[in-house]
Amino acid sequence: MASADSGIRSEVAVQEPAARVAQAAVGARTHFRRFTSFQRWVHFFIMISFSILVLTGMPLKYSDQAWAQRWMGIIGGVQNAGMIHRFAAMIMVTCVICMLGYFGVILIRSRGRFWGPGTMVPNRQDYRDLKAMAGWFVGATPYPRLELDRYAYYEKGEFWAASAGVTIMCVTGAILWYPEVAAQYLPGIVINFALVNHSGGALLAMGFVVVFWHFFHAHLRPEAFPMDKAMYNGGLPLEEYAHERPLEYERRVREGTLDEVLIAPLSPRRMKFENVLWWIITGAALFLWVVFSLFVVWVTYNWLISF
Amino acid sequence: MSPRRAVLVVLGAACLLAAAAAPAGAVTFTIPSGASDQCLECHAKPDLGTVNVNGVEKSLTVSEDAWHSSMHSRLDCTACHAGFQPREHTPEETQGWYQQAKLTACSDCHASEFKMYDKSFHGNLVMNEGSKEAPACGDCHGSHGIIDPTSAEFRESVPEVCGRCHGEKSETYLDTYHGKSVRMGSLSRAVCTDCHGSHEILPESDPHSMVSSQNVVATCGKCHENANSRFASFLVHVDRSTPHSSLWVWLMEINHAVLIGVLFTLGGLHCLLYFYRGLREGMYHRG
Repeated sequence: MASADSGIRSEVAVQEPAARVAQAAVGARTHFRRFTSFQRWVHFFIMISFSILVLTGMPLKYSDQAWAQRWMGIIGGVQNAGMIHRFAAMIMVTCVICMLGYFGVILIRSRGRFWGPGTMVPNRQDYRDLKAMAGWFVGATPYPRLELDRYAYYEKGEFWAASAGVTIMCVTGAILWYPEVAAQYLPGIVINFALVNHSGGALLAMGFVVVFWHFFHAHLRPEAFPMDKAMYNGGLPLEEYAHERPLEYERRVREGTLDEVLIAPLSPRRMKFENVLWWIITGAALFLWVVFSLFVVWVTYNWLISF
Repeated sequence: MSPRRAVLVVLGAACLLAAAAAPAGAVTFTIPSGASDQCLECHAKPDLGTVNVNGVEKSLTVSEDAWHSSMHSRLDCTACHAGFQPREHTPEETQGWYQQAKLTACSDCHASEFKMYDKSFHGNLVMNEGSKEAPACGDCHGSHGIIDPTSAEFRESVPEVCGRCHGEKSETYLDTYHGKSVRMGSLSRAVCTDCHGSHEILPESDPHSMVSSQNVVATCGKCHENANSRFASFLVHVDRSTPHSSLWVWLMEINHAVLIGVLFTLGGLHCLLYFYRGLREGMYHRG
């Protein structure tokens, strides 16, 4: 798959107008920095903590199932799972706090302007993109090569869904962790609400992140298959990025800010190491995807037949 | 007979009488050993049965293994089944025992528990109102296979035992963190009896009940140090599938069902169609 992948990339490069690329590439810095190392580390820790939270939380939600009881035994019982769950939760809360700080920095740098091109705020173009894709999905219109800015509509949607989700999970999780403290300030039924929402929100987050949204767009989307590498090595060839997200590229050329995001590609030795790492991560991701997908299919089936 | 000899005879008779009377008082270990084996000669047979006074078929089989591993295996059968003779039993023996002695059989040794039970909701129903449904000792503790009530095995079985009559309560309990943890083997979490009591159990409406509004905070406080009345108002037995249990919890549950249904459907369609069109247009094997 690795060779097929590089095949796609070289073909894309050939298709790209050569002049545009030559003008942009400065010295050896031929790559576009898609994500900063801060963003990649936060993503890494969220990925790890999310997986741990799912693996230690789900068996409790489905405690009447034989598989859940067997799995709970493997990870050392409820008490152990609870400790691991809370530890992973602390990692995720730390990530959330870091991101809030990061948003603060963005807000200050942009002097309070958090919307506009290149931000996470949805705009009319996203609506048009979604409509164009929907037309293609049902076979009414040919494949629309989207003129994307930094973030596509499906990335913005996921960002806001995940933000709402992580807020709900953190708040309800804290209530369930310290119910006596919560009851000092809130009525007891809030603990019931926290239970329902933590449990339902977990399933929602898991289905959304793993099966129906994030995994698909990062791994199985035809344009990204088998994995968008930018989240782990930070960048991708400039010509490729200009092809994938022309609006941001053109905007940066116009504003003269392209230089800020150019980086040198990884050395061949580093690349080799990262490729091994890439195979491990992709393998683990696809394995988890299959397991979690089967799980969500099973849950949905049970939910449907309960009517 | 000389007066001296007469005194000796009287003394000897008194000793014999005392020895004979002692077992009837409290401890019954003096019943000749081997009697249980004698009983099991018939009662270990797998198909031994009868029809009781209520016309219900009843097995008379006693599992030898369960009996030998039970708490009472040191006792003889007649320690509880007082007055039974080793032959085909008469209706007087069996009916009398079934209706009354099954309680007093336990109270002889477990007097303090029986006193608590006598004043409890269950005990009142059985002892004073003659209820046949309310549980007597054996209904919760079992009989021939009786196990140590302080054992992990017994604790683990509590939700199931209470659930035989209080099925809905047991189910809603198993939907809470307490219930889920206990079901997964974390026995330090609360089971039914930790909050409701056991022998002394009383309904919520009784002020002496462990879960009455007067006592419930202290009951929660056994584990949750800083529990207050708001904490205690947490709904333990809430059925999430119906609005009659708690309207708000149900609404929240419905909200999640709708959210999951809509988002999974839309998200699933988006992925499936994207994937399908990508496959059809050969986008997965370019180059």
